[in-house]
Parts: sequence; structure tokens; C-alpha cells
Amino acid sequence: MTAGRLVACLLAAASPLVAQGSFARLAGRVPAPALRAIDSILVAARREGLPTEPLIEKAFEGGAKGVAPDKIVLAVGTSADQLRSARALLREAGETQPTDPAEVTAVAAALSRGLSPELVGQLTAVLPGEPTGPALHAVADLVGHRFAEDSSVDLIVAAAQAGLRGLRFLDVAAAAVQDLQRGQSHAAALAHVHSLLPNVPPPPRPAPAAVSRARRLQPGSERP
Amino acid sequence: MTHIDPQLHRVLDGELPSDDLTPSQREQFAALQRAARLLADAPAASVAARVMTEVRRPRQSLGQRFAQWLTERHTVTIAVRPVWSLALAAALGAIAVIPARGPGPVLGEQEGIAQFVGRFPGAKSVEVVGSFTDWRPGAVVLRDDDHDGIWRASVVLPVGEHEYMFVVDGERWITDPLAGRYVDDGFGRQNALIFVRPLAR
Repeated sequence: MTAGRLVACLLAAASPLVAQGSFARLAGRVPAPALRAIDSILVAARREGLPTEPLIEKAFEGGAKGVAPDKIVLAVGTSADQLRSARALLREAGETQPTDPAEVTAVAAALSRGLSPELVGQLTAVLPGEPTGPALHAVADLVGHRFAEDSSVDLIVAAAQAGLRGLRFLDVAAAAVQDLQRGQSHAAALAHVHSLLPNVPPPPRPAPAAVSRARRLQPGSERP
Repeated sequence: MTHIDPQLHRVLDGELPSDDLTPSQREQFAALQRAARLLADAPAASVAARVMTEVRRPRQSLGQRFAQWLTERHTVTIAVRPVWSLALAAALGAIAVIPARGPGPVLGEQEGIAQFVGRFPGAKSVEVVGSFTDWRPGAVVLRDDDHDGIWRASVVLPVGEHEYMFVVDGERWITDPLAGRYVDDGFGRQNALIFVRPLAR
């Protein structure tokens, strides 16, 4: 037996167990009438190699918020579609391993924030092989404050070219939004932040009192 | 030494009656008698008399003497070099200025602090429910210790993006109006988004 066949056999044997685990997690936290439909969505997503954790979370969220079963199923299905679109975008952008669950989830989250697929593809192409989540959310932050999509992407691309990475993209967006809140026009705010690159101010650190007060979540309340 | 008239001396000794004195001698005699009476009324002033007085006084207990020592005034002299005075002043100033750090949690490299603040006057309870709790209620409870309607919580969370909503009085789901980042929840409302940054100590 070749190694490939062995892996396929193991995956086939493990799949029902994984599915059974998801069903057990959902039971009691999601309305019973929605369980079977959600489970079938999870099975399909798993078969396609999509991350299922965001789908399970969406089902938990619907259950916690007391949403009707059919709406929970609809929302979970929409989330699965966003994950499919995200993976397709990453493939189009030339990602060699577009199945990285974290990256697919980050791109799906950006899509759910209203970014157009074209814009997402543009940004993922600028940051090949790097996490794009913060850059996408930085653009979404700017667009959310009525900056033009093209100008927002240009600013984040300029920040990337200036050497900024990761959460620093969010600082760039935050600096532009702050300028806006101080009364500058959108164009002036973008120009000002552009001139600051790469030295945009970092966010203030939490006060020592807040750090000392911080507590960890109780066991059982965290994601398993 | 004061000179005393010999005849006055004899009257004082009782050898002569005071009627034999002249008017001026009688005045001196009267003055001497007043002085003698004053001396007779005055307390004993000799060292022996004072010692005996102290000996007769009841002895105080150890506690009474300590209490007396504590309440009495004492002169204390401390000789300090100016350089040490300045160092002491600087140390006291530092203690006053540097905020005290409580026994807060030790954070890992991939952990940070999320601060949640909301204004909910009149609320009986406020909590945060989100992706970091698997949307399970009851894990992050906010507090309003000074009862000003501002509810707060600081929580250690994994670095990255998290979605959440406030739950007021256990039933009202409210989007954080101060979050600045939002995403449709797929159920007709919006979740707030928070990005937790690493805060390794």
C-alpha cells in the first residue's frame, strides 16, 4: 500500500468520527431542527477542504442569540459560500497553498465586511505568501469611514512597500481615521498619513492598571 | 552677713522682753518674726529631704514608665549627609509617581489585553459574548464598581481578530458603539470587531 493510499484510508476512517464530534459540539447549543442541515453543510465543507471552525462558530452564535433555526442554517450556508469565494480568490492571486485555514478565514472575513472580491484579490497579490488579514481589515476600516476603495488600497499598498506588516497596517488606517476625526478632509488625511510612512504612530498600550486587572477566561468558556 | 542689733538679738534669744525695744528695733523684730514664720511654712529644701520624698513616692510600673517616655518630649538628633537625604527624597518620589502593579496575569507572546467599555446606565448586568468564548454567555462579565453607568472589563485574549457583542441584563444583545469596526452577523445585526495585539511582559 502506498503512503498516499494509506493517508486516504485514514482520512476516510477519521471523517465520520470528526463529523460525529461536530454534531456533538453543536447539540445543546443549536436548535435541534437546524442540526441536521448544519451538519450537512459542515460535511460538504470538510470534503472540499474548507475550514469548518468559522461555520461551527456561526452556528453557536445563532444559537446564543436565539435566532430561528432556518436563519441559522442560512447564515452558516452563507459563511460557507464566503469561505469558498475566499479560497478561490487566493488561488487566483497565485497562492501556492491556498488551503491555509487562517488565511481563507481572514479573506472570508474581509469579504463579509463588504470588500469587493477585486479589491481583495489586488491586496493578496501585493502580499504573496504573507498573512493578508490585517491589510484587508485596514482597507475595510478605511472604506468603512468613507475613504474611496482605490485610495484606501493605494495607502495600504504604499505601507507594505514601506516595509510595514501585520497589525501595523491597522495603525495606518487608524492614523487616517484620526485625521478625519480631527476635521481634515479624506484627501488631506490620506496625504498626511502617506507622508508619515513608515512611521505612523503605534496605538497606545493598555494602562498598567488595566493589565493588572485583566483576567483569563474561565476554563470551558474558551474555544476548545 | 547682716548685722543684728545686740539688744534685738537678746530679745530674740528670750533674754529680754520685747517691751524694752525702741520703735525702730520693734519694726526690725517684727520683720524678723515674719521671716521666721515664712521659713517655718516652707517645705524642706535640703537634699536629704528631697531624696526621702522620692523614696516615699510609690514606684511606677514598667508600662507606666514606657507610656511616660512615649508622651514626654525628647530631643533627637540625626546626622545625615546631604547626598543620602537627596537619595531618600528621590526614592520616596519614585514610590509616589510610579503606579503600583498588581499581581496581574503573565502574558504569553501570542496574548494581549482586550478592554471592553460600555455605557449602560441602569443595567443590572453587562457581559461580553463573542468568538473568543465560542459565543457562550457568562464568561466575560463587566463591572461598574462606582455605579456611574460605565461598565468595564479587561481580559487576556489570543492575538488576532475577534467578534463580539454586549449582552445587557442577560437578554439584550447590543453592538459596541465605540468599536469602530463592524461586520454583519448574518442575522440582521452587526458584531463589533476587536484586534488584540501582543503584549508580552
